[in-house]
Amino acid sequence: MSSHREAPEISQDPVADSTDTYAFVSPDKPDTVTIITNYIPLEDPPGGPNFFEFGDDVLYSIYIDNDADGQPEIEYRFRFRTKLRNPETFLYNTGPITSIHSKNWNRRQFYDVSRIHYGKHNGHRPKPKVLGRDLPCPPCNIGPRSTPNYASLAGAAIRKLGDGERVFAGQRNEGFYVDLGSIFDLADLRPFQNLHLIATQPTMAVDATATLNVHTIAIQVPIKRLTRDRSVPSDPMSHKAVLGIWGAASRRKTRLIDKASGKVAESGPWVQVSRLANPLFNEVIVPVGEKDSWNALPPSADKRFLKHVEHPELAKLLPVLYPGVFPHLAALKAKRTDLVAILLTGLPRGVVAGFQNHTGKTLADMLRLNVAIPPNTSNPSPLGLIGNDPAGFPNGRRVFDDVVTIELRAIAGATYPLVQPSYQPDPAASQVTQGITPGPDRYQPTFPYLGTPHDGYSTGVS
Amino acid sequence: MESVSRRKLLATAGAATGTAALAAAPAAAAGVLDRGEVTDPSGPLPDEAIVAVVRDPKRGEVTVMAGEREVTYRDPSLVKRLVKAAPKSKE
Repeated sequence: MSSHREAPEISQDPVADSTDTYAFVSPDKPDTVTIITNYIPLEDPPGGPNFFEFGDDVLYSIYIDNDADGQPEIEYRFRFRTKLRNPETFLYNTGPITSIHSKNWNRRQFYDVSRIHYGKHNGHRPKPKVLGRDLPCPPCNIGPRSTPNYASLAGAAIRKLGDGERVFAGQRNEGFYVDLGSIFDLADLRPFQNLHLIATQPTMAVDATATLNVHTIAIQVPIKRLTRDRSVPSDPMSHKAVLGIWGAASRRKTRLIDKASGKVAESGPWVQVSRLANPLFNEVIVPVGEKDSWNALPPSADKRFLKHVEHPELAKLLPVLYPGVFPHLAALKAKRTDLVAILLTGLPRGVVAGFQNHTGKTLADMLRLNVAIPPNTSNPSPLGLIGNDPAGFPNGRRVFDDVVTIELRAIAGATYPLVQPSYQPDPAASQVTQGITPGPDRYQPTFPYLGTPHDGYSTGVS
Repeated sequence: MESVSRRKLLATAGAATGTAALAAAPAAAAGVLDRGEVTDPSGPLPDEAIVAVVRDPKRGEVTVMAGEREVTYRDPSLVKRLVKAAPKSKE
Protein backbone atom coordinates (compact mmCIF):
# COMPACT_ATOMS: atom_id res chain seq x y z
CA MET A 1 0.00 0.00 0.00
CA SER A 2 -0.60 2.43 -1.51
CA SER A 3 1.57 0.85 -4.10
CA HIS A 4 4.29 -0.61 -1.93
CA ARG A 5 5.30 -4.02 -3.28
CA GLU A 6 1.96 -4.12 -5.08
CA ALA A 7 2.86 -6.42 -7.99
CA PRO A 8 4.88 -9.64 -8.09
CA GLU A 9 7.71 -8.46 -10.35
CA ILE A 10 8.23 -4.99 -8.94
CA SER A 11 8.13 -6.30 -5.37
CA GLN A 12 11.54 -7.83 -6.17
CA ASP A 13 12.96 -4.50 -7.35
CA PRO A 14 12.57 -1.91 -4.57
CA VAL A 15 14.62 0.92 -6.10
CA ALA A 16 12.27 0.98 -9.09
CA ASP A 17 9.10 0.38 -7.07
CA SER A 18 7.04 3.56 -7.02
CA THR A 19 5.16 3.68 -3.74
CA ASP A 20 3.17 6.91 -3.89
CA THR A 21 2.58 9.82 -6.22
CA TYR A 22 1.38 13.16 -4.92
CA ALA A 23 0.33 16.26 -6.86
CA PHE A 24 -1.10 19.43 -5.35
CA VAL A 25 -1.07 23.18 -5.66
CA SER A 26 1.73 24.20 -3.31
CA PRO A 27 0.15 25.66 -0.16
CA ASP A 28 2.95 28.17 0.39
CA LYS A 29 3.50 28.96 -3.31
CA PRO A 30 0.05 28.75 -4.91
CA ASP A 31 1.33 29.74 -8.34
CA THR A 32 3.14 26.37 -8.46
CA VAL A 33 2.30 22.69 -8.47
CA THR A 34 4.33 20.22 -6.41
CA ILE A 35 4.67 16.68 -7.71
CA ILE A 36 6.22 13.96 -5.56
CA THR A 37 7.02 10.40 -6.56
CA ASN A 38 8.31 8.06 -3.87
CA TYR A 39 10.36 4.89 -4.25
CA ILE A 40 11.83 2.09 -2.12
CA PRO A 41 8.99 0.78 0.01
CA LEU A 42 9.19 0.18 3.75
CA GLU A 43 12.70 1.54 4.37
CA ASP A 44 13.86 0.53 7.82
CA PRO A 45 16.00 3.49 8.95
CA PRO A 46 18.90 1.49 10.53
CA GLY A 47 19.48 -0.37 7.23
CA GLY A 48 23.25 0.09 6.89
CA PRO A 49 26.06 -0.11 6.04
CA ASN A 50 24.75 0.19 2.49
CA PHE A 51 22.03 2.69 3.21
CA PHE A 52 19.16 3.18 0.80
CA GLU A 53 19.67 5.06 -2.45
CA PHE A 54 18.09 5.50 -5.86
CA GLY A 55 18.99 3.11 -8.66
CA ASP A 56 21.78 4.37 -10.91
CA ASP A 57 20.36 2.04 -13.55
CA VAL A 58 16.77 3.27 -13.27
CA LEU A 59 15.12 6.04 -15.27
CA TYR A 60 12.65 7.88 -13.04
CA SER A 61 9.93 9.84 -14.81
CA ILE A 62 7.15 12.25 -13.91
CA TYR A 63 4.54 12.66 -16.64
CA ILE A 64 2.03 15.44 -17.19
CA ASP A 65 -0.93 15.20 -19.57
CA ASN A 66 -2.43 18.65 -20.15
CA ASP A 67 -4.75 17.91 -23.08
CA ALA A 68 -6.81 15.05 -21.70
CA ASP A 69 -5.65 12.19 -23.93
CA GLY A 70 -3.97 10.03 -21.28
CA GLN A 71 -0.60 10.60 -22.94
CA PRO A 72 2.13 12.89 -21.68
CA GLU A 73 2.86 16.31 -23.10
CA ILE A 74 5.63 16.88 -20.56
CA GLU A 75 8.06 14.48 -18.90
CA TYR A 76 10.60 15.24 -16.19
CA ARG A 77 13.41 12.69 -16.15
CA PHE A 78 15.75 11.92 -13.27
CA ARG A 79 18.96 9.86 -13.62
CA PHE A 80 21.19 9.11 -10.65
CA ARG A 81 24.90 8.49 -10.30
CA THR A 82 26.68 7.13 -7.23
CA LYS A 83 30.22 8.26 -6.41
CA LEU A 84 32.57 6.60 -3.97
CA ARG A 85 35.32 8.61 -2.27
CA ASN A 86 37.15 5.70 -0.69
CA PRO A 87 36.64 2.12 -1.86
CA GLU A 88 39.01 0.84 0.83
CA THR A 89 36.51 1.19 3.70
CA PHE A 90 33.24 -0.58 4.37
CA LEU A 91 31.81 2.57 5.89
CA TYR A 92 29.12 4.82 4.41
CA ASN A 93 30.77 7.69 6.28
CA THR A 94 34.09 7.93 8.06
CA GLY A 95 33.08 10.73 10.42
CA PRO A 96 30.24 13.21 10.99
CA ILE A 97 28.60 14.50 7.83
CA THR A 98 28.16 18.15 8.64
CA SER A 99 27.74 19.47 5.13
CA ILE A 100 26.46 18.08 1.87
CA HIS A 101 30.03 18.21 0.52
CA SER A 102 31.58 16.62 3.61
CA LYS A 103 34.73 14.59 2.95
CA ASN A 104 33.57 12.20 5.65
CA TRP A 105 30.72 11.10 3.41
CA ASN A 106 31.94 8.18 1.37
CA ARG A 107 29.08 7.00 -0.78
CA ARG A 108 27.28 9.96 -2.32
CA GLN A 109 24.62 10.20 -4.98
CA PHE A 110 24.04 12.87 -7.62
CA TYR A 111 21.42 13.28 -10.31
CA ASP A 112 20.56 15.02 -13.55
CA VAL A 113 17.11 16.42 -14.32
CA SER A 114 15.81 16.93 -17.82
CA ARG A 115 12.50 17.90 -19.35
CA ILE A 116 10.90 16.64 -22.52
CA HIS A 117 8.04 18.28 -24.39
CA TYR A 118 6.16 15.81 -26.51
CA GLY A 119 4.62 17.47 -29.52
CA LYS A 120 1.96 15.99 -31.68
CA HIS A 121 2.86 12.47 -32.57
CA ASN A 122 4.86 13.08 -35.72
CA GLY A 123 7.31 10.24 -35.31
CA HIS A 124 10.21 12.41 -34.15
CA ARG A 125 11.93 11.65 -30.87
CA PRO A 126 11.86 14.84 -28.82
CA LYS A 127 15.18 15.89 -27.36
CA PRO A 128 15.38 16.27 -23.59
CA LYS A 129 16.42 19.65 -22.22
CA VAL A 130 18.83 19.25 -19.34
CA LEU A 131 17.69 21.47 -16.47
CA GLY A 132 20.25 20.47 -13.88
CA ARG A 133 23.41 18.37 -13.72
CA ASP A 134 25.18 16.72 -10.81
CA LEU A 135 22.62 17.87 -8.27
CA PRO A 136 23.38 16.39 -4.85
CA CYS A 137 21.14 14.09 -2.85
CA PRO A 138 21.43 14.36 0.93
CA PRO A 139 22.77 11.36 2.82
CA CYS A 140 20.41 9.01 4.56
CA ASN A 141 19.63 9.97 8.15
CA ILE A 142 21.96 7.68 10.05
CA GLY A 143 22.10 9.00 13.57
CA PRO A 144 23.30 11.82 15.83
CA ARG A 145 27.01 11.05 15.33
CA SER A 146 26.93 10.68 11.57
CA THR A 147 24.24 13.16 10.52
CA PRO A 148 24.00 15.54 13.48
CA ASN A 149 22.07 18.33 11.71
CA TYR A 150 20.02 16.46 9.20
CA ALA A 151 17.52 19.20 8.41
CA SER A 152 20.29 21.47 7.15
CA LEU A 153 21.77 18.67 5.05
CA ALA A 154 18.41 18.06 3.43
CA GLY A 155 17.80 21.76 2.98
CA ALA A 156 21.07 22.11 1.10
CA ALA A 157 19.84 19.50 -1.35
CA ILE A 158 16.86 21.60 -2.47
CA ARG A 159 17.94 23.15 -5.74
CA LYS A 160 16.47 25.78 -8.05
CA LEU A 161 16.55 25.09 -11.73
CA GLY A 162 16.92 27.66 -14.47
CA ASP A 163 13.37 27.41 -15.76
CA GLY A 164 11.68 28.13 -12.44
CA GLU A 165 11.45 24.61 -11.09
CA ARG A 166 12.74 23.49 -7.69
CA VAL A 167 13.83 19.93 -7.06
CA PHE A 168 14.78 17.60 -4.26
CA ALA A 169 15.75 13.94 -4.35
CA GLY A 170 16.59 11.95 -1.26
CA GLN A 171 15.34 10.20 1.83
CA ARG A 172 12.23 11.49 3.60
CA ASN A 173 9.73 10.44 6.23
CA GLU A 174 7.12 8.05 4.84
CA GLY A 175 4.00 10.18 4.49
CA PHE A 176 1.61 7.37 3.67
CA TYR A 177 -0.09 5.92 6.71
CA VAL A 178 -1.92 2.63 6.83
CA ASP A 179 -2.78 -0.25 9.14
CA LEU A 180 -1.08 -2.75 6.85
CA GLY A 181 -1.25 -5.75 9.13
CA SER A 182 -4.95 -5.31 9.66
CA ILE A 183 -6.08 -4.68 6.12
CA PHE A 184 -4.19 -7.61 4.67
CA ASP A 185 -5.51 -9.90 7.38
CA LEU A 186 -8.60 -10.67 5.31
CA ALA A 187 -9.65 -7.03 5.04
CA ASP A 188 -10.01 -6.38 8.74
CA LEU A 189 -11.66 -2.95 8.78
CA ARG A 190 -11.65 -1.07 12.01
CA PRO A 191 -13.99 -0.47 13.80
CA PHE A 192 -15.87 -3.50 12.48
CA GLN A 193 -13.45 -6.29 13.34
CA ASN A 194 -15.92 -7.75 15.83
CA LEU A 195 -18.39 -8.04 12.95
CA HIS A 196 -15.90 -9.82 10.67
CA LEU A 197 -16.66 -13.36 9.53
CA ILE A 198 -13.68 -14.33 11.69
CA ALA A 199 -14.40 -11.94 14.52
CA THR A 200 -11.87 -10.48 16.94
CA GLN A 201 -12.17 -7.97 19.73
CA PRO A 202 -11.95 -4.33 18.59
CA THR A 203 -8.44 -2.98 19.03
CA MET A 204 -6.60 0.25 18.35
CA ALA A 205 -5.28 0.78 14.83
CA VAL A 206 -1.57 0.27 14.16
CA ASP A 207 0.24 2.81 11.99
CA ALA A 208 2.46 0.30 10.21
CA THR A 209 4.56 2.91 8.39
CA ALA A 210 5.03 5.30 11.33
CA THR A 211 8.76 4.57 11.75
CA LEU A 212 9.67 4.01 8.12
CA ASN A 213 11.32 6.17 5.47
CA VAL A 214 11.07 6.42 1.73
CA HIS A 215 13.08 7.92 -1.12
CA THR A 216 11.46 10.99 -2.60
CA ILE A 217 11.75 12.76 -5.93
CA ALA A 218 9.98 16.10 -5.61
CA ILE A 219 9.64 18.89 -8.13
CA GLN A 220 7.85 22.20 -7.81
CA VAL A 221 6.85 23.72 -11.12
CA PRO A 222 5.18 27.03 -12.01
CA ILE A 223 1.60 26.27 -13.07
CA LYS A 224 2.05 28.20 -16.29
CA ARG A 225 4.77 25.77 -17.33
CA LEU A 226 2.39 22.82 -17.10
CA THR A 227 -0.91 23.99 -18.62
CA ARG A 228 -1.65 23.47 -22.29
CA ASP A 229 -1.69 27.19 -23.15
CA ARG A 230 0.80 28.31 -20.50
CA SER A 231 -1.96 30.08 -18.59
CA VAL A 232 -2.68 30.10 -14.87
CA PRO A 233 -6.35 29.07 -14.87
CA SER A 234 -8.64 30.69 -12.32
CA ASP A 235 -11.92 29.07 -13.41
CA PRO A 236 -12.25 25.58 -11.86
CA MET A 237 -14.80 24.70 -14.54
CA SER A 238 -12.25 25.21 -17.34
CA HIS A 239 -10.84 22.02 -18.84
CA LYS A 240 -7.53 23.85 -19.18
CA ALA A 241 -7.32 23.79 -15.39
CA VAL A 242 -7.04 19.98 -15.14
CA LEU A 243 -3.69 18.21 -15.32
CA GLY A 244 -3.24 14.44 -15.51
CA ILE A 245 -0.15 13.35 -13.56
CA TRP A 246 1.63 10.06 -12.93
CA GLY A 247 5.06 8.71 -12.10
CA ALA A 248 6.96 5.80 -13.59
CA ALA A 249 10.27 3.96 -13.42
CA SER A 250 12.00 2.21 -16.31
CA ARG A 251 14.90 -0.18 -16.76
CA ARG A 252 17.00 -1.09 -19.77
CA LYS A 253 15.69 -4.08 -21.65
CA THR A 254 18.69 -6.34 -21.05
CA ARG A 255 21.12 -6.65 -18.19
CA LEU A 256 24.28 -8.73 -18.22
CA ILE A 257 26.40 -9.52 -15.18
CA ASP A 258 30.15 -9.80 -15.66
CA LYS A 259 31.38 -12.90 -13.88
CA ALA A 260 34.85 -11.55 -13.11
CA SER A 261 34.01 -8.07 -11.85
CA GLY A 262 30.41 -8.50 -10.75
CA LYS A 263 29.60 -5.35 -12.68
CA VAL A 264 26.57 -4.96 -14.87
CA ALA A 265 26.30 -4.07 -18.54
CA GLU A 266 23.03 -2.97 -20.07
CA SER A 267 21.58 -2.63 -23.51
CA GLY A 268 18.39 -1.79 -25.30
CA PRO A 269 15.57 0.68 -24.87
CA TRP A 270 14.06 1.73 -21.56
CA VAL A 271 11.15 -0.45 -20.51
CA GLN A 272 8.66 0.77 -17.94
CA VAL A 273 8.55 -1.52 -14.90
CA SER A 274 6.51 0.57 -12.49
CA ARG A 275 3.95 3.35 -12.63
CA LEU A 276 1.68 5.04 -10.18
CA ALA A 277 -1.04 7.65 -10.08
CA ASN A 278 -4.13 6.93 -8.00
CA PRO A 279 -3.18 5.17 -4.78
CA LEU A 280 -4.23 1.53 -4.54
CA PHE A 281 -5.26 1.23 -8.21
CA ASN A 282 -2.85 -1.55 -9.08
CA GLU A 283 -2.77 -2.83 -5.53
CA VAL A 284 -6.49 -3.32 -4.89
CA ILE A 285 -8.29 -2.99 -8.22
CA VAL A 286 -6.09 -4.98 -10.62
CA PRO A 287 -5.98 -8.79 -10.16
CA VAL A 288 -2.62 -10.32 -9.36
CA GLY A 289 -2.31 -11.99 -12.75
CA GLU A 290 -2.48 -8.61 -14.52
CA LYS A 291 -0.49 -6.42 -12.13
CA ASP A 292 2.87 -6.81 -13.86
CA SER A 293 1.45 -5.93 -17.26
CA TRP A 294 -0.36 -2.94 -15.76
CA ASN A 295 2.97 -1.65 -14.51
CA ALA A 296 4.40 -1.86 -18.03
CA LEU A 297 1.53 -0.05 -19.77
CA PRO A 298 0.81 3.64 -20.20
CA PRO A 299 -2.35 5.12 -18.65
CA SER A 300 -3.87 5.48 -22.12
CA ALA A 301 -4.12 1.65 -22.22
CA ASP A 302 -6.17 1.39 -19.04
CA LYS A 303 -9.40 0.63 -20.89
CA ARG A 304 -8.48 -3.04 -20.57
CA PHE A 305 -8.81 -2.75 -16.78
CA LEU A 306 -12.23 -1.06 -16.90
CA LYS A 307 -14.14 -4.17 -15.80
CA HIS A 308 -12.12 -4.37 -12.60
CA VAL A 309 -13.08 -0.78 -11.76
CA GLU A 310 -16.72 -1.29 -12.68
CA HIS A 311 -16.93 -4.42 -10.54
CA PRO A 312 -14.14 -4.25 -7.95
CA GLU A 313 -13.34 -7.46 -6.13
CA LEU A 314 -13.22 -5.77 -2.73
CA ALA A 315 -16.80 -4.48 -3.12
CA LYS A 316 -17.91 -8.06 -3.59
CA LEU A 317 -15.85 -9.29 -0.63
CA LEU A 318 -17.00 -6.76 1.95
CA PRO A 319 -20.58 -8.11 2.30
CA VAL A 320 -19.18 -11.64 2.55
CA LEU A 321 -16.55 -10.80 5.15
CA TYR A 322 -18.95 -8.63 7.17
CA PRO A 323 -22.28 -10.47 7.11
CA GLY A 324 -25.19 -8.09 7.46
CA VAL A 325 -23.04 -4.95 7.58
CA PHE A 326 -23.15 -4.02 3.89
CA PRO A 327 -26.58 -5.20 2.61
CA HIS A 328 -27.01 -2.33 0.14
CA LEU A 329 -23.55 -2.91 -1.28
CA ALA A 330 -24.36 -6.61 -1.61
CA ALA A 331 -27.43 -5.74 -3.67
CA LEU A 332 -25.56 -3.27 -5.88
CA LYS A 333 -24.88 -5.13 -9.12
CA ALA A 334 -24.65 -2.16 -11.48
CA LYS A 335 -21.36 -0.91 -12.92
CA ARG A 336 -19.54 1.32 -10.47
CA THR A 337 -19.52 4.39 -12.66
CA ASP A 338 -18.65 6.45 -9.58
CA LEU A 339 -15.31 4.65 -9.31
CA VAL A 340 -14.75 4.92 -13.07
CA ALA A 341 -15.19 8.69 -12.76
CA ILE A 342 -12.94 9.02 -9.71
CA LEU A 343 -10.14 6.80 -11.04
CA LEU A 344 -10.30 6.79 -14.84
CA THR A 345 -11.98 9.93 -16.23
CA GLY A 346 -12.22 12.46 -13.44
CA LEU A 347 -15.45 13.90 -12.08
CA PRO A 348 -17.39 15.92 -14.67
CA ARG A 349 -19.01 19.22 -13.82
CA GLY A 350 -22.39 18.96 -12.13
CA VAL A 351 -21.49 16.04 -9.85
CA VAL A 352 -19.95 18.06 -7.03
CA ALA A 353 -20.96 21.72 -6.87
CA GLY A 354 -18.16 24.02 -7.99
CA PHE A 355 -15.78 21.19 -8.83
CA GLN A 356 -14.65 19.10 -11.76
CA ASN A 357 -11.46 17.32 -12.73
CA HIS A 358 -12.77 15.68 -15.86
CA THR A 359 -10.38 14.75 -18.65
CA GLY A 360 -12.82 13.40 -21.19
CA LYS A 361 -13.58 9.91 -22.42
CA THR A 362 -10.07 8.47 -22.40
CA LEU A 363 -9.93 5.93 -19.60
CA ALA A 364 -6.62 6.48 -17.85
CA ASP A 365 -5.40 6.08 -14.30
CA MET A 366 -3.95 9.50 -13.58
CA LEU A 367 -4.01 11.83 -10.63
CA ARG A 368 -6.22 14.65 -11.89
CA LEU A 369 -5.39 18.00 -10.40
CA ASN A 370 -7.57 21.04 -10.97
CA VAL A 371 -5.03 23.81 -10.50
CA ALA A 372 -7.72 26.49 -10.30
CA ILE A 373 -8.83 25.12 -6.92
CA PRO A 374 -6.76 27.08 -4.40
CA PRO A 375 -4.92 25.20 -1.66
CA ASN A 376 -6.74 24.89 1.65
CA THR A 377 -4.35 26.32 4.22
CA SER A 378 -6.86 27.07 6.98
CA ASN A 379 -8.76 23.86 7.59
CA PRO A 380 -7.71 21.06 5.26
CA SER A 381 -9.51 17.75 5.62
CA PRO A 382 -7.53 14.52 5.22
CA LEU A 383 -10.69 13.11 3.67
CA GLY A 384 -10.36 15.52 0.74
CA LEU A 385 -13.39 15.91 -1.46
CA ILE A 386 -15.60 13.58 0.63
CA GLY A 387 -14.59 15.74 3.61
CA ASN A 388 -15.82 18.84 1.73
CA ASP A 389 -12.28 19.90 0.94
CA PRO A 390 -11.92 20.07 -2.87
CA ALA A 391 -8.20 20.84 -2.58
CA GLY A 392 -7.57 17.22 -1.61
CA PHE A 393 -7.86 13.75 -3.10
CA PRO A 394 -9.19 12.90 -5.64
CA ASN A 395 -8.31 16.42 -6.76
CA GLY A 396 -4.67 15.45 -7.05
CA ARG A 397 -3.34 14.13 -3.77
CA ARG A 398 -1.73 15.89 -0.81
CA VAL A 399 0.84 14.23 1.41
CA PHE A 400 -1.51 13.98 4.38
CA ASP A 401 -4.66 12.82 2.58
CA ASP A 402 -6.10 9.66 4.14
CA VAL A 403 -6.43 7.89 0.83
CA VAL A 404 -7.01 4.47 2.40
CA THR A 405 -10.12 5.63 4.25
CA ILE A 406 -11.33 7.62 1.24
CA GLU A 407 -10.98 4.71 -1.16
CA LEU A 408 -12.37 2.13 1.26
CA ARG A 409 -15.44 4.28 1.76
CA ALA A 410 -15.77 4.80 -1.98
CA ILE A 411 -15.53 1.08 -2.73
CA ALA A 412 -18.00 0.40 0.09
CA GLY A 413 -20.52 2.51 -1.79
CA ALA A 414 -20.27 5.92 -0.15
CA THR A 415 -19.64 7.66 -3.49
CA TYR A 416 -22.16 5.78 -5.61
CA PRO A 417 -24.88 8.40 -4.96
CA LEU A 418 -22.75 10.84 -6.95
CA VAL A 419 -23.90 9.04 -10.09
CA GLN A 420 -27.08 7.38 -8.77
CA PRO A 421 -28.74 9.71 -6.25
CA SER A 422 -31.42 7.16 -5.35
CA TYR A 423 -28.83 4.73 -3.94
CA GLN A 424 -28.68 4.66 -0.15
CA PRO A 425 -25.20 3.69 1.05
CA ASP A 426 -24.94 1.36 4.01
CA PRO A 427 -24.36 3.36 7.20
CA ALA A 428 -21.11 1.42 7.61
CA ALA A 429 -19.74 2.83 4.34
CA SER A 430 -19.21 6.25 5.88
CA GLN A 431 -17.99 4.84 9.20
CA VAL A 432 -15.05 2.85 7.88
CA THR A 433 -11.89 4.51 9.08
CA GLN A 434 -8.28 3.64 9.53
CA GLY A 435 -8.34 5.19 12.97
CA ILE A 436 -4.84 6.57 12.41
CA THR A 437 -3.72 10.11 13.02
CA PRO A 438 -0.24 10.64 11.58
CA GLY A 439 2.26 12.33 13.88
CA PRO A 440 3.21 15.98 13.35
CA ASP A 441 6.80 15.19 12.29
CA ARG A 442 5.58 13.27 9.31
CA TYR A 443 5.13 16.38 7.20
CA GLN A 444 6.49 19.88 6.97
CA PRO A 445 4.81 23.04 5.67
CA THR A 446 7.36 23.76 2.96
CA PHE A 447 8.91 21.95 0.01
CA PRO A 448 9.37 18.97 -0.16
CA TYR A 449 6.50 18.72 2.38
CA LEU A 450 7.44 15.24 3.63
CA GLY A 451 9.13 15.46 7.01
CA THR A 452 12.69 14.75 8.10
CA PRO A 453 13.37 11.02 7.79
CA HIS A 454 13.73 8.91 10.90
CA ASP A 455 17.34 8.35 11.88
CA GLY A 456 18.58 4.81 12.18
CA TYR A 457 20.04 5.25 15.66
CA SER A 458 16.83 6.39 17.34
CA THR A 459 14.37 4.18 15.51
CA GLY A 460 12.93 1.58 17.82
CA VAL A 461 14.26 3.34 20.93
CA SER A 462 11.31 4.30 23.09
CA MET B 1 48.10 -14.12 -38.56
CA GLU B 2 45.98 -13.51 -35.50
CA SER B 3 42.93 -15.69 -35.41
CA VAL B 4 39.55 -13.92 -35.43
CA SER B 5 37.13 -15.08 -32.78
CA ARG B 6 33.38 -14.75 -33.18
CA ARG B 7 33.22 -12.38 -30.25
CA LYS B 8 35.85 -10.09 -31.71
CA LEU B 9 34.18 -10.05 -35.07
CA LEU B 10 30.77 -9.30 -33.61
CA ALA B 11 32.20 -6.53 -31.48
CA THR B 12 34.12 -5.05 -34.40
CA ALA B 13 31.15 -5.19 -36.72
CA GLY B 14 28.86 -3.64 -34.14
CA ALA B 15 31.26 -0.88 -33.18
CA ALA B 16 32.20 0.00 -36.72
CA THR B 17 28.94 -0.11 -38.56
CA GLY B 18 26.09 -0.57 -36.12
CA THR B 19 23.59 -3.28 -35.67
CA ALA B 20 22.15 -3.14 -39.17
CA ALA B 21 25.54 -4.01 -40.62
CA LEU B 22 25.91 -6.77 -38.05
CA ALA B 23 22.63 -8.30 -39.07
CA ALA B 24 23.57 -8.08 -42.73
CA ALA B 25 27.05 -9.56 -42.30
CA PRO B 26 28.36 -10.61 -45.70
CA ALA B 27 28.76 -14.19 -46.70
CA ALA B 28 32.51 -13.99 -46.34
CA ALA B 29 32.16 -13.03 -42.71
CA ALA B 30 29.68 -15.84 -42.21
CA GLY B 31 32.38 -18.19 -43.33
CA VAL B 32 34.67 -16.86 -40.64
CA LEU B 33 31.88 -17.12 -38.08
CA ASP B 34 31.29 -20.70 -38.99
CA ARG B 35 34.89 -21.39 -38.10
CA GLY B 36 34.66 -19.54 -34.78
CA GLU B 37 36.60 -21.07 -31.96
CA VAL B 38 35.58 -21.41 -28.33
CA THR B 39 37.67 -19.13 -26.17
CA ASP B 40 37.69 -17.40 -22.80
CA PRO B 41 36.55 -13.76 -22.71
CA SER B 42 39.51 -11.47 -23.27
CA GLY B 43 38.17 -8.75 -20.99
CA PRO B 44 35.20 -7.53 -19.00
CA LEU B 45 31.83 -6.79 -20.54
CA PRO B 46 31.62 -3.37 -22.16
CA ASP B 47 29.40 -0.86 -20.36
CA GLU B 48 27.02 -0.89 -23.30
CA ALA B 49 26.84 -4.35 -24.76
CA ILE B 50 25.43 -5.27 -28.16
CA VAL B 51 22.90 -7.99 -27.49
CA ALA B 52 21.17 -10.26 -29.97
CA VAL B 53 18.07 -12.19 -28.94
CA VAL B 54 16.79 -14.99 -31.14
CA ARG B 55 13.05 -14.61 -30.79
CA ASP B 56 11.86 -17.33 -33.09
CA PRO B 57 14.38 -19.64 -34.78
CA LYS B 58 11.78 -21.06 -37.16
CA ARG B 59 10.91 -17.61 -38.48
CA GLY B 60 14.53 -16.48 -38.50
CA GLU B 61 13.62 -13.59 -36.22
CA VAL B 62 16.30 -11.86 -34.18
CA THR B 63 16.26 -8.65 -32.16
CA VAL B 64 19.53 -6.74 -31.84
CA MET B 65 19.95 -4.15 -29.11
CA ALA B 66 22.62 -1.49 -29.00
CA GLY B 67 22.55 1.62 -26.86
CA GLU B 68 18.94 2.58 -26.21
CA ARG B 69 17.74 1.19 -29.53
CA GLU B 70 16.60 -2.19 -30.74
CA VAL B 71 15.85 -3.52 -34.20
CA THR B 72 14.15 -6.79 -35.03
CA TYR B 73 15.23 -8.50 -38.25
CA ARG B 74 14.07 -11.50 -40.14
CA ASP B 75 17.46 -12.91 -41.06
CA PRO B 76 17.43 -16.70 -41.26
CA SER B 77 21.15 -16.94 -41.96
CA LEU B 78 22.12 -14.85 -38.92
CA VAL B 79 19.69 -16.76 -36.74
CA LYS B 80 21.06 -20.01 -38.05
CA ARG B 81 24.60 -18.97 -37.14
CA LEU B 82 23.57 -17.82 -33.68
CA VAL B 83 21.63 -20.99 -33.00
CA LYS B 84 24.60 -23.01 -34.18
CA ALA B 85 26.88 -21.01 -31.88
CA ALA B 86 24.60 -21.37 -28.89
CA PRO B 87 26.02 -23.69 -26.20
CA LYS B 88 24.33 -27.04 -26.09
CA SER B 89 23.29 -28.56 -22.83
CA LYS B 90 26.22 -31.05 -22.87
CA GLU B 91 28.85 -28.30 -23.27
